[in-house]
Amino acid sequence: MKRHTRKAVGFLALGMTAAAALISGCGQKDEANGKTVVEIVHYKPEAVKAFEALEEKFNATHDDIQLVIESPNDAMTILKTRFIREDYPEIIGIGGDINYSNFLDADMLMDISDYEGLKDIKESYLRTDKELEFIPYDGVYAVPYMANAAGVLYNKDIFEEHGWEIPTTLDEFYALCEDIQAEGIQPLYFGFKDTWTCLAPWNAICVDLAPSDICSQVNAGTAKFSDAYRPVAEITKSLLQYAQPDPYAYSYNDACTAFARGESAMYVIGSYAVPQIKSVNPDMNIDSFVFPASNNPEENLLNSGNDLQWSVMAGYEDKKEAIYEVLDFLYEDENIQTYLDDQNAVPCKQGDFTLPSMLDGMKEYIENDKMADYQDHHYPSEMAVDAMIQTFLMDESENSVDTFLTKFDTEWVRYNRDLIAKVQKFYAENPEKLTEGGDE
Amino acid sequence: MKLSKGAQDRKRTFMLITIPILALFFCFNTLPLIKGFMYSFTNFKGYGSYDWVGLRNYQDLFTDARVGKSYWFTFKYALVSTIITNVISLILALGLNSKIKGKSVLRGIYFIPNVLGGLVIGYIFSFIFTYVLPAVGQSLGIEALSSSMLSSTSKAWIAIVIVGCWQAIAMNTIIYISGLQTVPEDVYEAGAIDGVSGWKQFKSLTFPLIIPFFSINMVLCMKNFLMVFDQVMALTKGGPSQSTESISYLIYNNGMSGGQFGFQSANAFVFFVLIVVISVAQTTITNRKEEQL
Amino acid sequence: MRKKNKAARTVNWPVTILLILGCVTIFFPLYMAVIIAFKQPSEMTNDIAGALAFPASWSFANFAEAMRVTDFWRSLGNSLLLTVTTVVLSVIIHGLGGYAIGRSMKGSKLYNLAYLYIVSGMFVPFAILMMPLVKQTAQMGIANRFGVILLYTVFFMPLNLMLYRGYLTNIPLALEEAARVDGATTWKTYWSIVFPIMKPMHATVAVLTAMSTWNDVMTPLVIMSGTGQNTLPLAQLNFQTQFGTNYNLAFASYLLALIPILLFYIVCQKQILNGVVNGAVK
Repeated sequence: MKRHTRKAVGFLALGMTAAAALISGCGQKDEANGKTVVEIVHYKPEAVKAFEALEEKFNATHDDIQLVIESPNDAMTILKTRFIREDYPEIIGIGGDINYSNFLDADMLMDISDYEGLKDIKESYLRTDKELEFIPYDGVYAVPYMANAAGVLYNKDIFEEHGWEIPTTLDEFYALCEDIQAEGIQPLYFGFKDTWTCLAPWNAICVDLAPSDICSQVNAGTAKFSDAYRPVAEITKSLLQYAQPDPYAYSYNDACTAFARGESAMYVIGSYAVPQIKSVNPDMNIDSFVFPASNNPEENLLNSGNDLQWSVMAGYEDKKEAIYEVLDFLYEDENIQTYLDDQNAVPCKQGDFTLPSMLDGMKEYIENDKMADYQDHHYPSEMAVDAMIQTFLMDESENSVDTFLTKFDTEWVRYNRDLIAKVQKFYAENPEKLTEGGDE
Repeated sequence: MKLSKGAQDRKRTFMLITIPILALFFCFNTLPLIKGFMYSFTNFKGYGSYDWVGLRNYQDLFTDARVGKSYWFTFKYALVSTIITNVISLILALGLNSKIKGKSVLRGIYFIPNVLGGLVIGYIFSFIFTYVLPAVGQSLGIEALSSSMLSSTSKAWIAIVIVGCWQAIAMNTIIYISGLQTVPEDVYEAGAIDGVSGWKQFKSLTFPLIIPFFSINMVLCMKNFLMVFDQVMALTKGGPSQSTESISYLIYNNGMSGGQFGFQSANAFVFFVLIVVISVAQTTITNRKEEQL
Repeated sequence: MRKKNKAARTVNWPVTILLILGCVTIFFPLYMAVIIAFKQPSEMTNDIAGALAFPASWSFANFAEAMRVTDFWRSLGNSLLLTVTTVVLSVIIHGLGGYAIGRSMKGSKLYNLAYLYIVSGMFVPFAILMMPLVKQTAQMGIANRFGVILLYTVFFMPLNLMLYRGYLTNIPLALEEAARVDGATTWKTYWSIVFPIMKPMHATVAVLTAMSTWNDVMTPLVIMSGTGQNTLPLAQLNFQTQFGTNYNLAFASYLLALIPILLFYIVCQKQILNGVVNGAVK
């Protein structure tokens, strides 16, 4: 009788161990034979083909280093879970956004200011990364690789047909929209159902009208959003009159499809949307221009940010040589061009690269370094600024701008409480840094 | 003493089965829950270093308008969906269990929604709500349908109810069918002799016999609807203007993707305790009813 | 409805017709999924006529491409392995647990408590468990497929336990007692008498567990990441990035992933329908 009862437990255990024996042991990371393994995890799964080619090329030419490039889906979740497991890749490829600020703030990245390649990187992209630091750090923690640009995409064929000119001031832009509307064409199309697209016009207007370090200023207690963002909010809302009715019903994909099918003459979005648009209409003639939010053309800047940059994880000092060699390889002109051809990006390295044709209208700004980062790269994602802008745009009451700006200021404090305390404590201890930061 | 020996064996076997199961459950559910609970007293972002902040997260929880809104949405959604799902599934189950032609084919068809993942269904319906329904509404001149439900703060939740129910009805129907099949034919025969039929037959004969299945379905609905995530993710992503953020969506979105892991752990824990209290109350009530019958 | 009981053998046509009409609500969304799966991205339009129209050609190119992108057979193999193992373990472990706990609950506070303890686990949001579990599985060295299966058997335990226990309350003790009088052990009685009686519930549990496992993204994503193993839903994430979604490939892939689980259901449906046990006891 006891035999049987013991079976009860044995059975459970058996099932478990049998399954364990079957499965465990599979899927362990390969140990390279004598080679130094450098693993890159990046967050651009859409560029997987370009990176597979680069990985193969590197490994064919290097005997001492084995390069592994992972292009996982949902890379941020994967990275965070790997950090919890303390299973760090050598290099991470992420965007220059709040995640970078947070990783840096958590002391997870290595200072790479001695990396030679930094000399070749365009100044404004390095500055962008500097501004992403919550409190000024000594050293460099990321090498910008690729940038994207945002502004207004337009249908070149429709524009040429009607002889419309590219606007350089806000008044010209409004006049253009009126002209387009008068011809019975939809000037703009928005996909505000996907709330993040609300940030596209917002960011493009911000770079012209708001100081680029406004978030740091607010954190340091020297500025308020309700002053800096008032014109931005007003102009963003004014765009609605030129958009299709009920833009909140349509997603990003819908808007791309509509623009691709010629349903609107312009589309306020970033260069990243071009592949999606082209998938619907491969022969479309797209060009772009910088959003002119100011009536002074000199004030208008290109909205461009670090779309992909490399950071080395802390604790790999001993592998530095191999890691730098990998970075050198990635920054070889030929290899950068491989990526450019695949992804419609703007290289952060100085040099003579062939830019995608849909960026023709922005070229001048890129070449003259007249650029500023996306403001939303400073917003904590849990604050959901995109949804706040959507709410504001849907709010038809008269004082909607005030409601929105007040909410922005109060919510900012609520979501950044610990950070603000940290920043203000830092400046109280290092008052000289405050002026330094303010000048930039 | 043969009987008592048997009873002893029974007791011991049960114990030996229960203990490892409890251990397993403790190890992979309670233990991480306790760790999560500990994080709810920190400002942990999900990585890196963190500080203890005491009860601050819990204080914030009760003053956060967004969290409050998500509770309102979730409970409203769960209540309405539970009612709709159970009524329709019961009717469907009665229909599918009656003398119909092509029974197993029809049953198979009505089960299909359950086979599809929540996200897939969400994408299909999102298409229908954005393009098909407004077109139908416009051609029929129905004002309420002529613009997309998903872009209206007052109607978007209804769209989520429709999709949630569409999918949940399949499983609930199957469970009701298996319940109806445990009702022996002679019950109906006895009822027929008494001249009971139709609604009366259902109310006084059928329903009391399938009450256990009814409670299974209630719990199933509660679990699925209160934890609603996929539908929100695929249909609205919490919009428009944050009107359809469910609690699970908020916890995942701000806790995992955002940097509010500590705060959302507090939210998750409060939510958990709240549901346990509700379900204990609910089970006590249904149990009492079951015993009465 | 009029003569339902008298004419028990005649087909109830009104109900049949209503049910057939109701199928439209099922088929219409499916129809949309199928035509989207066959179209090319350039055929996607934003108006209703275009959305409902047939694709230009019924080419299986999308399906072939979807299979290539998702590394279909390998991902399918992993999905099958996870699902089948989880279902088998669930039926064995949760069935036993439901029986042991369910039968002991009458008159035992301790078992009542154990039952409530496990069932309440149903309402723990996964997001709160995620981080600690990632760490725990890594420390235990089971951040792999085995770990995922183990977690599934724990995650589905509350619901399945409840289902088994609920089903057992409808099954009288008479048979078990008879077996005990005949000298059979509890263990033996369970496998020879109780387990077969619970067949319909096994089917329900299997279907529910299989569906949840098959469609789950989160658990394998966070636990198995970096092992180089993919499940179908994980591979399907390929079709969607923030800046671009290929719905056509995605839907082709969804339909492909649907087939095995649909087959599984058709098999199980017979179990549910044939496995009716009531009357066996009475």
